[in-house]
Amino acid sequence: MENTAELEYSVVGKRLPRKDAIEKVTGKFQCTADIQLPGMLYAKILHSPYSHARIVKIDTSKAEEVPGVKCVLTHLNTKKMHVNWHFGPPLDEVLHYQGEEAAVVAAITPKIAEEALKLIDIEYEVLPAVYDSEEALKPDAPLIHPDYRSDNTFRGYPWQPIGRMDEDGFLRLEYGDINKGLSEADIIVEGDNTNPMQFPISPAPRAVVADWQGDQLTAWIDSQTPNSQMPGIAGYLGIPQSKIRIISHCIGGYGNKQPVKCLYFAALIAKKTGRPVKMQYTREEDFIGTHRRVEFKVHNKVGVKKDGTITGMYSKCIANQGADTGFAFISMGTALVEPFTLLYDFKNSKAEIMGVTTNITSYGAVNGFGAPEGMYGVEKVMDKAAEAIDMDPIEFRLRNCIHYGSPAIEMQQAFNGPKDPVWGVLGPDLDAFRHLIEKCREDANWKEKWKGWHTPAAVNGAKRKGIGFAIGMHHAPYWASSSFVIMNPDGSATVMNNAVEIGQGFKTAVAQVVAESLGISYDKVTPVLSDSAVCGQAFGNVASQGTTSHVYSAKMAADNAREQMLAWAADKMGTTPDQLAAKNNFVYMKENPEKKMSIAEICGANYQIFGTFKNPPISALVDPKSGKIVSSYASTAAIVEVEVDTETGQVKVERMTGVNDVGVAINPDNCENQIDLGMIMAKGWVLNENPVIDRRTGAIMNPNLVDYKINTILDIPDRKDFVGEYVERPYPFGPYGAKGFSETACTAVAPAISNAVYNAIGVRVEDGFISPAAILRALEKKKQGR
Amino acid sequence: MQTGGVSNMEKKTIILHVNGDQYEVTPSSTATLADVLRDELGLMGIRLMCNEGACGACTVLMDGEPTLSCMMPVMEAEGKEILTIEGLPDPVTGELHPIQQAFVDHNALQCGFCTPGMIMSAKALLDKNPDPTEKEIRKALSGNICRCGTYRKITEAVLDAAARLRNIKQQKNSTEKTNTEKSEEQESVWSIG
Repeated sequence: MENTAELEYSVVGKRLPRKDAIEKVTGKFQCTADIQLPGMLYAKILHSPYSHARIVKIDTSKAEEVPGVKCVLTHLNTKKMHVNWHFGPPLDEVLHYQGEEAAVVAAITPKIAEEALKLIDIEYEVLPAVYDSEEALKPDAPLIHPDYRSDNTFRGYPWQPIGRMDEDGFLRLEYGDINKGLSEADIIVEGDNTNPMQFPISPAPRAVVADWQGDQLTAWIDSQTPNSQMPGIAGYLGIPQSKIRIISHCIGGYGNKQPVKCLYFAALIAKKTGRPVKMQYTREEDFIGTHRRVEFKVHNKVGVKKDGTITGMYSKCIANQGADTGFAFISMGTALVEPFTLLYDFKNSKAEIMGVTTNITSYGAVNGFGAPEGMYGVEKVMDKAAEAIDMDPIEFRLRNCIHYGSPAIEMQQAFNGPKDPVWGVLGPDLDAFRHLIEKCREDANWKEKWKGWHTPAAVNGAKRKGIGFAIGMHHAPYWASSSFVIMNPDGSATVMNNAVEIGQGFKTAVAQVVAESLGISYDKVTPVLSDSAVCGQAFGNVASQGTTSHVYSAKMAADNAREQMLAWAADKMGTTPDQLAAKNNFVYMKENPEKKMSIAEICGANYQIFGTFKNPPISALVDPKSGKIVSSYASTAAIVEVEVDTETGQVKVERMTGVNDVGVAINPDNCENQIDLGMIMAKGWVLNENPVIDRRTGAIMNPNLVDYKINTILDIPDRKDFVGEYVERPYPFGPYGAKGFSETACTAVAPAISNAVYNAIGVRVEDGFISPAAILRALEKKKQGR
Repeated sequence: MQTGGVSNMEKKTIILHVNGDQYEVTPSSTATLADVLRDELGLMGIRLMCNEGACGACTVLMDGEPTLSCMMPVMEAEGKEILTIEGLPDPVTGELHPIQQAFVDHNALQCGFCTPGMIMSAKALLDKNPDPTEKEIRKALSGNICRCGTYRKITEAVLDAAARLRNIKQQKNSTEKTNTEKSEEQESVWSIG
């Protein structure tokens, strides 16, 4: 195969229109909620009104008598089986958060199902509950899972053991000597941060449709990871996976649309009644019944020398994971290996993190998955550290940010094991970091705007302007993925992969790399995605690894098809495959491009050409320089400019500059869109989206889009003041140098906002949610000289 | 339809004018326009994100005005001209409306759930103001939430769509002018003859 890096790409890197654009601008894109089948039933959920309760009596006879009601599910007539690591039994006798499912009714209309829910006679024994992570750790705190835990710390599940936790419940990572590191410092700086929880708010509330034909279940779900739902549902139903077809039509996941509990209800009801079943959440149900961003209470202690060297950092983090979810472990792992140990070139580092179970809605992935939550605290304390030694905050980061060759890489290897491609070590792509920090500084015109510590960017009466900086990073692992590429007799190609287009542009990226590899036009490629009946296994699109795993897999399958095509053509043309190239729908001689064959002719003569690929071999992921398995890490830097009204506490973001490392942009438009998404979501997270949880009852007080404020177009700067951009440093192990980066854009903006607010008002806002009240509290504290 | 133990809602047959067609429907008196457009007429481009007037995803045009169909009692839509995203492409050729085409060309969408409502709000703006500023576009789209934060490219697409629509209008005007001049010439020829 020729060195593609030397070639001008025909399709990759072009701003081509999305493969899903037409159906989305015409409203024809089929969401799960749009599916209607003959004889369909509609199922509705009875949600727990209590945060912690035992069902002592449940009588569904009156509900069952309602004409039109066809099925009622409770914990008494469903299997009490832990379905996978996402949650316990679909219906349980004990309910652990307000909104958890207590019963399900299916009827011929949604209205009848809703009315019948009211006729369920249910009695609860209300149990003591706890909502705050530190309260939950006290010895007298109510125990939330007494059946398998002796305290509220998260240590995995009996049915899904998770190792690595120490006896006291902490997951720890240490390298170098933290005590020595801190003792070598001229100054030690400490800081605390508690981040707001944030709801993902997928625009389409979750929906599922299930239908049985004979012994075959077809389920249409709205999930980013349909493939990983398969073992759980097959195990629960006790049928082979080959009897289940899962099709995912996913609308905007933001990390959160993964486990689909209503899949279990719909499948069971459809089986019992012999009729198709639809379940659709309301907006409120999508708030209370799904997952939210983790809350980290973080304490960081960093040692610095006056010359700007970081001598060590200690981090302690308590994660409020909510009622129940195995996601906690992964987010804890992410926090441990990203913000607390891998953002900087630490020589000495110690981080410890504990997951705590509480009676609030469960934690799930939301754009960043442990990275932004941890980095928020780290980047606030690093700003303090730069201030303590009177160094420009950007110079401080340039001096200390992690780079290829940092000793932390060795530590990573030791922690994760030498052959784990999911948590591989840092690769050479990390050297984009310093470059993008400099670019960010330049594009935001920092040198002119930054007036030094303790000097706001501008003061106009009660209004003060500030500018703040932060960095961030997130890794994109390699996960299982297989692809098929079929070259049809007319020279077009169909590519099949079971990962999902959720809005990020996956379908388009797959089509672009396949077209590039096969040398055919973009419009001749049709991706068929997320349908288990025709696609192979592919984990799904989470953790920003769609590009590194699934686009890569599609590209490799296309390369496989291309090899076959060139071998056949070489034989016909009396040459060897290495003398041939494929471009613009032709295979031609490199030395003599006039000598060529059309790809349609080659495919037609072969009837079809099949290209396949299954998982990247470990050997393909070894960095030749270090000899280590690598994982792709994307870095970012952000500068935010704010105006704070010191009379009202209002913060207005006036300008945002974010620069991200993408490897190579397969489609520049889609890369820019993903960067905008991350930056805007981070802005909302700390300035206007605040899940209000009643700490006496555990109730979510604002589960609607009137009281829960998502950014509108007026809440973000206009185009001239919104700079979301990328740098390209080809990642040697990604498809055409591309890599996953999407969630990275979310990591630096939140602390940059907080740091900008500090620059404006001269006092640090301790609260993670920077509300007007938090600003006024901070100003009051400053006034009183505290 | 079987209504079971649920009390019967008052029902009345009305005529809806949607995308140039007339539909006779008999909704319950409490039904919203969004309910009827989706469930009875099968117009799934009406997206329900919040179902309480906070997000703009269900925006349709009613007599040219952007309207939140999830908040509009269907009975009040009787006799009004309703335009949904499905009614935007050219009915003869199926060609996309220039605003839709601009959204495609600028990749001004991600998950696409807000897109139909966003395009309808943009149409309402451009029908009234063919040459809007970025500020006017932002104001007109401020009731449409894009959770994917695609606002930059949406703004670009609407600015470009405005330019395209102005071009089309200009071309049409000049064609009409040429035709009028031609017919005037003909007339004069005929008068001489």
